[in-house]
Amino acid sequence: MDAVLDAALRGELTEEQCFRLVGRLWTLKRVMYYVYGSWAQGLNVNEFPPSVAYLFGKQIYDDSTHEMQYVDEILRRRWTVTQREAFRHPNCVFTPASRLAYFIFALRALTNYRQSIRVAALNLGAKVIELAWLERLGRSFPDAQLRAVFAGQVAETRSHVLMGRLIVERHVATTVDAGLCRHDHQVVRQNYLFALDEIATFTLGIPEQAGAAAVPSYVD
Amino acid sequence: MAAPPTVIPIRIDHAACTECRMCYVVCREINLNAVVVAPDPLHRFEIDMERCLYPGCTACLMYCPAPGSIIESAGGRSLVPPPPEAWSEERRCKRSAP
Repeated sequence: MDAVLDAALRGELTEEQCFRLVGRLWTLKRVMYYVYGSWAQGLNVNEFPPSVAYLFGKQIYDDSTHEMQYVDEILRRRWTVTQREAFRHPNCVFTPASRLAYFIFALRALTNYRQSIRVAALNLGAKVIELAWLERLGRSFPDAQLRAVFAGQVAETRSHVLMGRLIVERHVATTVDAGLCRHDHQVVRQNYLFALDEIATFTLGIPEQAGAAAVPSYVD
Repeated sequence: MAAPPTVIPIRIDHAACTECRMCYVVCREINLNAVVVAPDPLHRFEIDMERCLYPGCTACLMYCPAPGSIIESAGGRSLVPPPPEAWSEERRCKRSAP
């Protein structure tokens, strides 16, 4: 994402590349429903105090708002005329054979874990990195409207990081759980960076070289 | 064919709005996309009058569950629940034939 911002600061990011960036970020945000939908089922078994369910509900609502902001921007700029068209556009379509899908499918696979462990993985892994690039883009992205969109998401993303820390500090008690948190956090972090790299190269139009996408070392 | 009705500016009253998103969802469903999320940290819903067709379209008023949350910009008259004239076919934009 640093490369995308650097290109934008040099004035080299075209309208089409901005569409690719926003389209990919919209795709990333909206497929989180796929993850949250399966994770939320675990909350129905009443395994955790209500505050955890509340915090997680707020996080789903916030991520949904962020997704809406991205598609609002796509429609406002007439990159596509309707939301239905946006879903099908190559810049926004969800492709199962992609790094983004790899990140999402791996997150969804954490469904069988405790909520405290998967929140540790997502909020203290991916969300921390998201907060960093959101802050940077929200501070200096040249396009004022997109800068406002990025900056507007910073407060909520920061709250997700903090609520992740709170849940982990309160509910991760055993050595086994702590070890799982550390492992899954590392996996999610790597997968997220893997997906972000794809978003950036797609945005900048850099062709992916054969063999450039190495399978992470933790995959058996 | 009758001329389309003149658009009357409306807005969301944030003191009454529950942010349930029904207006957003229905506006998306009919491809008007006039209800948007403001790009600021509060992320409140706003009506984009460049896209809104009121009184030609009253879909959001029909779905909004919070009385007083959508109002006329001039005068502040509440449109939720929809006033009698909102049900009048004459004021509606007509669907073009398929």
